Amino acid sequence: MILTQNKIREEYQNENITITPFNASNLSTNSYDLTLDETYIQYTEDIVDPKKKNRYEEKLIPKSGLLLKKSSFILGSSVEKIGSDKYVPIIHAKSSIARLGLFVHVTADLIDIGSHGNITFQLYATSNIRIYPGMQIGQVSFWVPKGDITLYEGKYADSEGPKSSKSYLSFGN
Amino acid sequence: MILTGDQIRKELKRGKIKIDPFNANQVNPNSYNYRLGKKLIDVERDKKIVIPEEGFVIRPHTPYLGSTKEQLGSDTYAMSLIGRSSMGRLGLFLQISADLGHTGSSHCWTLELVATQPIRIYPNMQIGQISFWENKGRIEKYSKGYSLHSRPTKSKIHNDTYTK
Repeated sequence: MILTQNKIREEYQNENITITPFNASNLSTNSYDLTLDETYIQYTEDIVDPKKKNRYEEKLIPKSGLLLKKSSFILGSSVEKIGSDKYVPIIHAKSSIARLGLFVHVTADLIDIGSHGNITFQLYATSNIRIYPGMQIGQVSFWVPKGDITLYEGKYADSEGPKSSKSYLSFGN
Repeated sequence: MILTGDQIRKELKRGKIKIDPFNANQVNPNSYNYRLGKKLIDVERDKKIVIPEEGFVIRPHTPYLGSTKEQLGSDTYAMSLIGRSSMGRLGLFLQISADLGHTGSSHCWTLELVATQPIRIYPNMQIGQISFWENKGRIEKYSKGYSLHSRPTKSKIHNDTYTK
């Protein structure tokens, strides 16, 4: 089951859902809209390798916007801190953003229950597109789990800003 | 409803979910991490590849077909196969907007890998995750198309009937 906006608001008020800052006008029928923060990350490796710590640069999206060229890939982050110890969040693009050919995640839409923090957007452009800080770029929905809950304690817990891959920490497991 | 990690473990024990081989430390709060099998197909060049232990670099913006190492399935739950966040953060797609696994399917799953930048991949690495979802309604088991295949399997859309 997916939560409606009324239930999202209610569970936010009951502190079963974290959305900080919360703005009632970001609620949609089944989701809450997420905005893009100004910090982004770009890898500087010719070949990224999940076995190692990949080098990257951290930059700012100017107020005048950043042109993402077709086929480019960067990591951005949500302004909002999101999470829940009771529901499973799933990240989606805003339909208006998808219609411009921008992915906001690369097949990793599922957030672990108990994970709270800024969402790292995996931005992949299928055509040239200009992005702006503060724009509404994604949305988060909340889903009811079945079974006993074990909260997330993984390597991205309490994320602030975009976080590069930490795959090397668990490689070989 | 999406199953929690604890519920995935319970349903596995009850035989309602198949994960073979199963490794308890691949269970997440609401999913299970699957591994990458050795075989790969470069779709554009129609070439079969066995990924060596030292890894294989895939070209960006072009599809490869891989498969899960594990047999995954359920006659009770629907499934969703996606990437791990650690791989998404490296710009690797594990499927091309076809994440839904039908109830009744049980096999090694074909993965559609697309890299947004050159990336080295390794056999047996934990590359994606599968979640399990409760059904509502009477179940008609999936028995078509790809359900019997455990190797990376190319599209069979040419077998479909086209109407004008």
